[in-house]
Amino acid sequence: MKKVLLLTPLLLWSLPAQAHPHVMVSVTTEVIFTEGKVAAIRHHWTFDDMYSAFVTANLGQNGKDPTTQELQPVAQTNIESLKEYEYFTFPKVNGKKAAFGAPFDYSMTFDGKDKTATLHFTMPLTEAARSKLFVFQIYDPSYFVAFQFDKGDPVKLLSAPQGCSLSVSKPRPLDGEEAKKLDESFFSGLSPGTDFGAKLADRAIVACP
Amino acid sequence: MMTRATARRAAFLAGVLALVCCAGAALAQGVGHNPFSVGVSEGGGQYGGVLGWLMSQQMEFERQISGAVRAIRTTGAGFWTLSGLSFAYGVFHAAGPGHGKAVVAAYMIANERALKRGLVISGLASLLQGLVAIAIVGVLAVLLSATAQRMRDAAEWVEIASFAGIASFGAVLAFRKGRALFAALRPPPPASRFVCEAADADGSHEHGPNCGHFHMPDPSTLGKKTFSWRDAALTVITAGSRPCSGAILVLVFSMAQGIFWAGVAATFAMALGTAITTGALATMAVLAKDLALRLTGGGARRGEIIGRALEFAAACLVLALGLALLLGYTLAGI
Repeated sequence: MKKVLLLTPLLLWSLPAQAHPHVMVSVTTEVIFTEGKVAAIRHHWTFDDMYSAFVTANLGQNGKDPTTQELQPVAQTNIESLKEYEYFTFPKVNGKKAAFGAPFDYSMTFDGKDKTATLHFTMPLTEAARSKLFVFQIYDPSYFVAFQFDKGDPVKLLSAPQGCSLSVSKPRPLDGEEAKKLDESFFSGLSPGTDFGAKLADRAIVACP
Repeated sequence: MMTRATARRAAFLAGVLALVCCAGAALAQGVGHNPFSVGVSEGGGQYGGVLGWLMSQQMEFERQISGAVRAIRTTGAGFWTLSGLSFAYGVFHAAGPGHGKAVVAAYMIANERALKRGLVISGLASLLQGLVAIAIVGVLAVLLSATAQRMRDAAEWVEIASFAGIASFGAVLAFRKGRALFAALRPPPPASRFVCEAADADGSHEHGPNCGHFHMPDPSTLGKKTFSWRDAALTVITAGSRPCSGAILVLVFSMAQGIFWAGVAATFAMALGTAITTGALATMAVLAKDLALRLTGGGARRGEIIGRALEFAAACLVLALGLALLLGYTLAGI
């Protein structure tokens, strides 16, 4: 059996079990309140310079930066294809998983100075899911895209009632057992479990009185 | 009669088959397209530990590569920085799992024992991968002013074709290797064996009708006689025709900065790095096969059966890989 053991890592290593992020997104999010409850969030996702160059390639006229109008088809395609991925946004309302309704008010802008593209869109919570305690994370479970909250003030509360608190937390480091599981998943090529993306993502918590 | 050696062989074969099965299961996860993909299916696994380290290296490289391209544009310096970074990126990028390496490794196990040829095949596959990326971005984006959507479509088309190529190549290999395994499992006809060996003394492997057409090379020559340029070329094409996202991104970014040539240079440096890692994998495949044959050896016939079984399993792996990748597409609704 020695030979089988010898070949195992070799063959499994070569499986297309995924790789590493190719796109980095810097996130700022506005949490929008209606009648004292969280009713919607508006995302602003700024892509890294390389992906920005790709997604806006040849869209500007005569070598100029692309306009928001020229980028609208890109925004449209992105929003449509994001549906299947749950917009990479995973909200919890009062401790339970919640879902967003169809996004609206979407567009893409291009920053001529940084040469970066930003996707903007708003997602409403259903009436029933509106609440005073709201937690969300943004991550790509397949880790092709690396999401990170922007430095500074990445989450803002709009029309929030008095006394609401906001905290944005970095993920806690994995404990030994979890890190081991991830290493094993690397060598087996199998997923370590779907909750790992969540454990490793930044988290924003909004709590209102 | 179940001797210890037979039991060991059976266990070994069972192990190989189990490997193929679990490979298939792992692959069946499929490969949907990420909304922000550049047209080729490269997802991420999860990170942390070894993989996390590789990933953090990768992200750092991408940041530094885009910085180096900017530096070339603004200061004119930084060409060697860009080349060095891209080379390292290629090494690390290829250190992650990928189907191209699976094809090369399986091909090496199925066919090859000559290390040098394996290294050449790895190198050519990596070079081809770079050239395809340059062709897609160079022709579509630079010459035809295509948008990201059209580049994505083109990359996707190339990818589907390459997956279909892997499946077909795997099917042909599996058929051929399955037949060879079947032939090896049949008991040798002793009377005609000498006729064959006598006729085959010059190594031309031509023999008369008395031979019964039974092939049984010594394990030490296994693979050598079956070398075919066509298979090697197919391996290069199936393993290397799918461009990598990193190369496409750096090419488009360089184009946007007005220095497309820098992206081309970076892509070649990446290909060189990829070639080194893939070459190391090919070497591992050859050594592993050698070792497996030596450990289970002791008798030409048994060695042959084990060798053939191993080759057959590797061929099945290529077939399963191709089918799973194609299936991923079907499931993703493309």
